[in-house]
Amino acid sequence: MTRPGLLRTGAALALRDLRLLWRRRGDALQPALFAVLVVVLFSLALGGEAELLAQVAAAVLWVAVLLSGLLALDTLFRGDAEDGSLEQWMLAPVPLAWLVLVRTAMHWATTALPLLLAAPLLAELLQLPRVQLPTLLAALALGTPLLSLIGAVVAALTVGMRRSGILLALLALPLYVPVLVFGAGSVALATQGLDPMGGLLLLGAGLVVALVLAPVVAATAIRIALN
Amino acid sequence: MNPVLRWFHQLGSPPYFDRFAARWAPWGYGLGLLVMGVGIYLALFSVPPDYQQGDSFRILYIHVPAAWMSLLVYVLMALYAAIALIWRIKLCEILAMACAPIGAAFTLITLATGSIWGKPMWGTWWDWDPRLTTQLILFFMYLGVIGLYHAIDDRRAAARVASLLAIVGVALVPVIRYSVVWWDNTLHQGQTVSVFGESKLHASMLPPLVWMVIGTKFWFAGSLLARARADNLYREAGKEWVRKLATGKQRSGSA
Amino acid sequence: MPEMTYAGYVLAAYLVFAVVMLWDFVAPRIRTRQILRAARLLAARRAAAAAQSEFPPQ
Repeated sequence: MTRPGLLRTGAALALRDLRLLWRRRGDALQPALFAVLVVVLFSLALGGEAELLAQVAAAVLWVAVLLSGLLALDTLFRGDAEDGSLEQWMLAPVPLAWLVLVRTAMHWATTALPLLLAAPLLAELLQLPRVQLPTLLAALALGTPLLSLIGAVVAALTVGMRRSGILLALLALPLYVPVLVFGAGSVALATQGLDPMGGLLLLGAGLVVALVLAPVVAATAIRIALN
Repeated sequence: MNPVLRWFHQLGSPPYFDRFAARWAPWGYGLGLLVMGVGIYLALFSVPPDYQQGDSFRILYIHVPAAWMSLLVYVLMALYAAIALIWRIKLCEILAMACAPIGAAFTLITLATGSIWGKPMWGTWWDWDPRLTTQLILFFMYLGVIGLYHAIDDRRAAARVASLLAIVGVALVPVIRYSVVWWDNTLHQGQTVSVFGESKLHASMLPPLVWMVIGTKFWFAGSLLARARADNLYREAGKEWVRKLATGKQRSGSA
Repeated sequence: MPEMTYAGYVLAAYLVFAVVMLWDFVAPRIRTRQILRAARLLAARRAAAAAQSEFPPQ
């Protein structure tokens, strides 16, 4: 029997994830719903005044996306760790890093992409000035995959534990800071009329580096944690 | 065999390391206390008050060495972690994990003294300037390593996972620092004065700093050995030599 | 320049330093003592069990 190639295994894993997700399609909306809730809470806490909200809109949106991403992170490897599939991954003929990359991509597509699509709506709720929207969407498009990749490393480190919950967040948040800074900062720059490209390019560069390194580090973590 | 190499191998034996650590930790503490004592004495009584800052600049002699230690210990922790993961050396796992609480302690001192120093100088207990912000994030990264190490039951797997986290962290600390500086520079263009400007240290003000920098290193060595000894004992607790040590101690007087 | 007493602040800073250093010294000692005590108790239990049992302890 010929060894399955990267594409074949990648597609198989992606298909499996989609199928599993489809069976629990309600769950797919939860991160987006959580982000909406965070936005609502912030707006209420700030008094709902349009001018004030407009000033903090981008920052609040970023925090909402970050937090809902953190919540969703636990499901990245949990299911497969519990039913033993993760150990099958380690024995697979393809690199573990590749499987991690495919899984992370699917996770991003199912948890962060809905958020991205909901972002214009959330921006409206927060009275974000329309002119900031393109920069915000670009920053989110670059930043959310980066958050997913960093999150994958942290999730892999804690994959051996029963309930990692808050610890996962505690580990991930310091590593999220640069993404948040450049992501929200780009929008802030655009607001002030300055060029946001610097921040966006840094996000892009970080994404490229993470695409290569994060799966490898996560794979190492999985091997150590499940050894 | 090369005697140094042989000594390294011997250290890998848990009972030998226990004796080594028990013997040398007090030296680290003692020398550290002595040197820091001199440094503190000089800092408080021998250096004249600063023209601009009065006496409050004396806090520098705690704040700066602590800040340097917080960074140095993290790098050292990552170094031990890398050795532990690459060559699977158990002692280095223990040493790496022992670094974490000490580094966290120094980071806490940095944050607290920075805050206390900032109040009389710039009227605020806290400022989101790049250095303090990076120290705060560093504190959380230390807590993360400690938390991860204690969250997993198998000590060896826990140490190795936490070691990987430490290595990831050390690679990201420059990125985090860069991002915070970028944020400070590009967004806060009006607020260019950082809480602790670049005060030039006159040569006469240098000696206490040197003493404190050296003293904290000695103290760190003592603390590292003491904590590593404890962890080593914990891991080996079921073994015969530990029981012998424990009962022997009771007969000859306690720890 | 204001000749306020900064002494309070300096004292607070050095105090924080001393307290944290003290904790750093005490914590591992307590831990070591606990571990050795537990080992001592374990040894005592094993010795008692061996004294009572017919077979020699392994």
